[in-house]
Amino acid sequence: MSTEDGGSGRDVRGGGRLGALYEAVISKLGSRRVRFTAMQARVGVLVLLAAFFTFRSEYFFTSTNLVNVLVNGAVIGIIGSAMTLLLVARQVDVSVGSAIGFAGAVFAVVARDYGLFWGVVGAVAAAMAIAAINAVAILRFRVNSILTTLATLVAFRGASKLVMDGRAVRVEGFRFLGRTRFEVLGVEIPVAVLVLLLVVAFFYILMRLTKYGQHMYAIGANPQAARLAGIPLERQVGIAFVLTGITVAVAALIVVSQVGAVSPTTGERMEFLALTGVIVGGASLYGGRGSVIGTLVAILILAVLDNGLVLLQVQSFWQEVMRGVLLLGAVVFDQLGRRESEVRMEV
Amino acid sequence: MTRPVRAGAPLLEIRGLSKHYGTIRALDDVSFHLGRDEVVGLLGDNGAGKSTLVKCLAGAVIPTAGEVYLHGEQKVFSTPAEARREGIETVYQQLALVDIFDIAANFYLGREMTRTGWRGRFGMLDRRSMKKRARAAVELLPARFPNLDALIETMSGGQRQVVAISRAGFWGGRLLLLDEPTAALGVKEAAAVLEMIGAMVSAAETDMAMIVISHNMDHVWSICTRLLILRQGRLVADLLKSETSRQEVVAHITGAFD
Ligand SMILES: Nc1ncnc2c1ncn2[C@@H]1O[C@H](COP(=O)(O)OP(=O)(O)OP(=O)(O)O)[C@@H](O)[C@H]1O
Ligand SMILES: [Mg+2]
Repeated sequence: MSTEDGGSGRDVRGGGRLGALYEAVISKLGSRRVRFTAMQARVGVLVLLAAFFTFRSEYFFTSTNLVNVLVNGAVIGIIGSAMTLLLVARQVDVSVGSAIGFAGAVFAVVARDYGLFWGVVGAVAAAMAIAAINAVAILRFRVNSILTTLATLVAFRGASKLVMDGRAVRVEGFRFLGRTRFEVLGVEIPVAVLVLLLVVAFFYILMRLTKYGQHMYAIGANPQAARLAGIPLERQVGIAFVLTGITVAVAALIVVSQVGAVSPTTGERMEFLALTGVIVGGASLYGGRGSVIGTLVAILILAVLDNGLVLLQVQSFWQEVMRGVLLLGAVVFDQLGRRESEVRMEV
Repeated sequence: MTRPVRAGAPLLEIRGLSKHYGTIRALDDVSFHLGRDEVVGLLGDNGAGKSTLVKCLAGAVIPTAGEVYLHGEQKVFSTPAEARREGIETVYQQLALVDIFDIAANFYLGREMTRTGWRGRFGMLDRRSMKKRARAAVELLPARFPNLDALIETMSGGQRQVVAISRAGFWGGRLLLLDEPTAALGVKEAAAVLEMIGAMVSAAETDMAMIVISHNMDHVWSICTRLLILRQGRLVADLLKSETSRQEVVAHITGAFD
């Protein structure tokens, strides 16, 4: 059996009450061997959550609200896509939240003084500068990627406050990315969502269909073997950090455009939200595993959860608790799956 | 030290090759040459420098000093890819396979085929062709795989070894370096792999030389015609099998002649 996401399939028979229930349902359906993949499990959770909230709130399953869910997940999904690529190669970048803040701050200040065009140029340059610092420290000086990006996370949060003088900066005349909507099949789809879909499609093709993607999985699964096979490790991983920089710039522009201003806290905690999505989506910090489709579904799960809990007027602290539970659940599930893993990477 | 004199331009010549790790002399001033279809056993105790020598030739380790010549032409390898371009294929002691890939993906690791036309320009993989070619090559092997699509992580140590050796054989080349290819194999599997190596050498259209590292004297004796013996990084003996005995070889390895 092949799984699209490089996730793991497992036998669910014999798992306590839930397992028994599952067994009963399946035997009714007349199937003998029951296996489902981690990907199917994720989609299942998403559908169940959506069904639950639809049942509990009449507002949940309206096109307006569903579009809202997508918009809320868009920015995290965009940086999560690049982060999936990094995790596949056994790297991580926790500086993306500050990078978004810094790129946004540079954008706001430059746009105010020199116009929108130079603002965009400045935002891209800012994001690329952080990516370059991360890449050089990790690849040239061989500092662990968690430590490197933790340092840049802290440093660039401070740097963005410096750029803004510690005060929020308004951005005028830049609502296009945040507010424009295209009509697709009678539903108004915001630009941010289209950008998300483009980014996911790009990373899907890159990771699944190209030589580069194949190299990244090899680097994550067995760096030594990859090196001995002549794969240019530093170059390939460096490209991933550059791609991360590009997604950071795009994410920053979308955030600034949606909010209409940049504040000292812009982008804060986004690295954790993205990382949570990536891991719930099936990637592993040990490399070699993960897919953008998994990440996308996971980020939708998290967005639906946030949205649904708000609609049900559950105290907002519960959102964080639930996120943590999901993350822990995913990690445990992953660990269980490792035992009889069925990770598929086709050639 | 005995050194057989051979006629003709040597396929491989090494002069004064050394590799130092700080004060450790993993390889110390080693010189020898290798003829076109020789199968040479590289012997020595643990830590004698065998793997280091192989890695220097494979471009995986950059020597501290010394020169390497192929067909009389000096070569400097700074990456494994450069050595492979010169026809040097290596099976490393730690096998160097990617567990989450199948056989075909491991065969083509680092030299993936891309599609023709515009897709190729974007680096799109041609998985189907790779699979087809790898399958055809594997089917010629004496070793059998129940499932060619199986991932390496589902295979036994012996099967992995066969995959790693087959990969080197698949690409051919003119110099094959095998670092303990039979170490994890049972008697039957080892015999199959040795048979496979023998078949690879005799089937090679062009001349192909091979350096095999092994701690198993029976294996060495069954396939090699010549023996190089390393001791504490130094080449202490270079013997033709027909002119020596196992006792003499063991004495060189253990240092009885020092
Ligand atoms: N990367 C390294 N750094 C430091 N020392 C090393 C390194 N690689 C090898 N050595 C040392 O060089 C010496 C030779 O090692 P090598 O691996 O070549 O031995 P070997 O003959 O292959 O041994 P074995 O039969 O156990 O595989 C050993 O003393 C080893 O500790
Ligand atoms: Mg060794």
